Amino acid sequence: MWSRIRLWLRAVMRRARMESEMDAELRFHIEAFAEDLVRSGEPREEALRRARIEFGGIERAKEECREARGVSFIDSLLQDLRYGLRMLRKNPGFSAVAVLTLALGIGANTAIFSVVDTVLLRPMPYPEPDRIVQFMLSSPQESFNLSSIPKFMVWRQQTSTLQDFAAYESDSPGINLTEGELPEQLRDIRVSAGFFRLFGATVDLGRTFTADEDRPGGRHVVVISNGLWHRRFAGDPNLVGKAIRLGGEPYEVVGVLDGSFVWDPPTDIWLPLQADPNSTNQAHDHRAAARLKPGINLEAAKEGTKLAAEEFQRKFPGMNGPEGPQGTFTLLPLRNAVTRNARPALLVLLGAVSFVLLIACANVANLLLARAASRGRELSIRVAIGASRGRIVRQLFTESVILSVAGGALGVVLGYAGLHALLAISPDDLPRVGPHGVAVELNARALLFTLFVSAFTAVLFALLPAIGFSRTDPSKILSEGGVRSGFGLRRAKSRYFLVVSEIALALVLLAGAALLIRSFTALQLVDPGFDGHDVLSLEMSLAGTRFQKTAGVAQFVREAEQRVESLAGVTALATTSSVPLEPIFFLPFSIEGRPLANDRYHGGADYRYVSSRYFEVFRIPLRRGRMITERDDGNAPGVVLINEAMARQFWPKGDPLGERITIGKGVGPEFEEPARQIVGVVADVRDAGLSQSPTPIMYIPAAQLTDGLTALGNTVVPLTWVVRTKVEPYSLREDIERELRQASGGLPVAHVRSMHQVAVESTSRTNFNMMLLSVFAGLAVLLASIGIYGLMAYAVQQRTHEIGVRMALGARAQNVLLLVFREGLSLALAGIAIGLLGAAWLTQALKSLLFGVSPNDPMTLALVAVLLLAVAAAACYIPARRAMRVDPMVALRYE
Amino acid sequence: MDKKQMELLQGTLDMLILKAVSLGPLHGYGVLLRIQQISKDRLEIQQGSLYPALYRLEHQGLITSEWGESENKRKAKYYRLTAAGKRKLQTEAEKWNRMADVIAGILQSTPEEV
Repeated sequence: MWSRIRLWLRAVMRRARMESEMDAELRFHIEAFAEDLVRSGEPREEALRRARIEFGGIERAKEECREARGVSFIDSLLQDLRYGLRMLRKNPGFSAVAVLTLALGIGANTAIFSVVDTVLLRPMPYPEPDRIVQFMLSSPQESFNLSSIPKFMVWRQQTSTLQDFAAYESDSPGINLTEGELPEQLRDIRVSAGFFRLFGATVDLGRTFTADEDRPGGRHVVVISNGLWHRRFAGDPNLVGKAIRLGGEPYEVVGVLDGSFVWDPPTDIWLPLQADPNSTNQAHDHRAAARLKPGINLEAAKEGTKLAAEEFQRKFPGMNGPEGPQGTFTLLPLRNAVTRNARPALLVLLGAVSFVLLIACANVANLLLARAASRGRELSIRVAIGASRGRIVRQLFTESVILSVAGGALGVVLGYAGLHALLAISPDDLPRVGPHGVAVELNARALLFTLFVSAFTAVLFALLPAIGFSRTDPSKILSEGGVRSGFGLRRAKSRYFLVVSEIALALVLLAGAALLIRSFTALQLVDPGFDGHDVLSLEMSLAGTRFQKTAGVAQFVREAEQRVESLAGVTALATTSSVPLEPIFFLPFSIEGRPLANDRYHGGADYRYVSSRYFEVFRIPLRRGRMITERDDGNAPGVVLINEAMARQFWPKGDPLGERITIGKGVGPEFEEPARQIVGVVADVRDAGLSQSPTPIMYIPAAQLTDGLTALGNTVVPLTWVVRTKVEPYSLREDIERELRQASGGLPVAHVRSMHQVAVESTSRTNFNMMLLSVFAGLAVLLASIGIYGLMAYAVQQRTHEIGVRMALGARAQNVLLLVFREGLSLALAGIAIGLLGAAWLTQALKSLLFGVSPNDPMTLALVAVLLLAVAAAACYIPARRAMRVDPMVALRYE
Repeated sequence: MDKKQMELLQGTLDMLILKAVSLGPLHGYGVLLRIQQISKDRLEIQQGSLYPALYRLEHQGLITSEWGESENKRKAKYYRLTAAGKRKLQTEAEKWNRMADVIAGILQSTPEEV
């Protein structure tokens, strides 16, 4: 590095010395010549003058000397750079607009690309990641990244195409580490023994699970993360073989994972799955994955997996999961499976941001073309006094490169800031970005991408004016009126083209943003069916023998109710298996006394177990019958509440009240229970998200669950407390946490959120897309209006003479105003027309992101067209006013 | 301009410069004077084209330059012939003489000789 700087310095110094020597030499010549003339009798003044004239063009001679000397590349580059910088400094307005325009385009692209790269492009951090496949359930309509234990057991027989089968929990309630003085809730996952081999996880210490430890009833063993080892156990090298207390029970640590192993979401505790090969549990709370055997391609493996689906049908007839009776099993490359929900939105954003870059490039090209035209005279003079064509083209090129490098550098800064802003507002469920997006950075790939983008733009827009110039005869430009003939017109045509495309692109972005804004406002206006104001939700992971039986949990809930509800400001406390808007169980049911056709069930519905005051906390109104009460406990006959959607769907004519249903029969031993009586119908809640219409749901009193289901539930979801308060809910957070902890005997409370926050999170994806696309559309409109303003301002300047003539011949100010507006707005209208066509086609890509508005909503398209036209009119106004104020006398003397 | 002056033939300036500095180190203006003096003012040299030619010859290594003092005590850049320049001058001069002979022969030929 240092030697390179020295070389560079030497080149600079050598160059400076040569310049001054050349000056001295030529000066000596002229003075010596003049002295000879003086000696022969000329007056001194006259002699110097004659000496200069006879010498001829000094600058031209110098330029030829430089060339004859064999100017080094670095010399001429330095000269070009210096000249370019001087030109840019002389036009600070132009330079600032060009650099800023580029920086915005490049910065936005860098930021979005960094996220897209992390989420979609970067390979998964596992060995041969492209050969890991995820087991998927697929119905004719959609596919699910889920499996049940029986399905996994059938699937893993497909050993001719696949190897390293692994099953692991799709979700976990968290686990309490009760080691030491501070209990802590940690993220845990149960995995089958093959998991570590499939994902290439190695240990720093000890080993992973043996097949024996993965059998039902196997030992209590645990593998912990490297992070936890350092954080809680100070990197104790003798930890392996010792026991730690998880959920009150001792687990032997058998291994510590290598720090480089990444799992999303970050997980600290790895427990053996210990799945029963003969399990009949039909709950779909697992995922399954495997590796393609060497020489086997994805298609062949899919065929094998389809066979497994048929095998499963034979073994468990009618026991379908979310895939439905027509469903089958299929495979998806792991990365696609993990990112498939985020993919459409990210690709839309990447497309949008590349539009912004295109507009930015068009704008800069436009600026440069305008400037090249107004510099025609200057460049022609340089050619006339001896600069070669190639030199001029290189000069223009250097200036463009300076602009794009400056734009790129500023763009990286903007991209860095933009990336942080982006991650701050990105949805929590964006996969692979790590907690708070730490996995995303402006990496080498993003920087290379930026470099490529700026180099591309430089070449693109530098060559346009350079080519245009090198085709032109400088003497034409220098001769009177030449500026306005051929040269100007052809140039203007390409500029019109650029402005029209800018407006068209801006319209497409604006239409996309407007559609998302309308979706978002439509979502805000949706009645969710519950009142989430002043409701706090807290989660607790239940572990320990006390909570393995329903009665124990019910007793605990009653105690907590008494404690928390006695707090000033608390109205009601309830428990639930999940809050509204968040994932929920789904179970099949059959209606007593109604004949079954071919299926084992009459249908399926969402399933939520709650304590009696759940409906009070969320103010969900009762439509018919009665609510569940504290008396609906384990000793009372089984009851269930359903919602109106379920009543409508399954009792379209009759009355559900008093009917009896059997829920989850055959799904697993934990679900075996007598039929429940429907005692009430409550109002609908949009549980599957604000954008989804309410689906049928069954509410079960938590106090009436089978003991097996209570225990199973504890391993799948945390217990969620919901509290209605009379005051700002967060102000009571510490009091509530304390009471809950005391009632539970010291279990930690985690994930405290207001329901408002839950609602925000549930729309965060729509919100995120809307905000970004709006920002991009705003940028696009701004850039396009700069473009149209620049073009019109230039046109007015070029036509000052013509306007002066018109005015001298009697045209009035309004006519002139109209002249400018007509030209500007006809460009805008052309752009808008093309843009509308583009939007009608491209907004289809947004379809899956929209709610309550169609991709071709005519209202939206009309609105953005009018908006863009108004912006274009505003951009034309300033040049139009300038044209109106042209003084014919001055204009005619112009030039 | 004097009418009896002739314009320099294309490509001969380099040779004349080499010849001029072969007689002793000269600064640029000196080269001009020397050529005019030897040619008895019959050649017209574009002063502007002299320096590019000097720079070119120096770049080709046929002459070298160094700063010295002129007759009237001023700093001036003096050019001198290098060994390569000497060889070049010799071959160029031979080539020129042969060419001049040939051309002269052609121009003096009479109808009988053809």
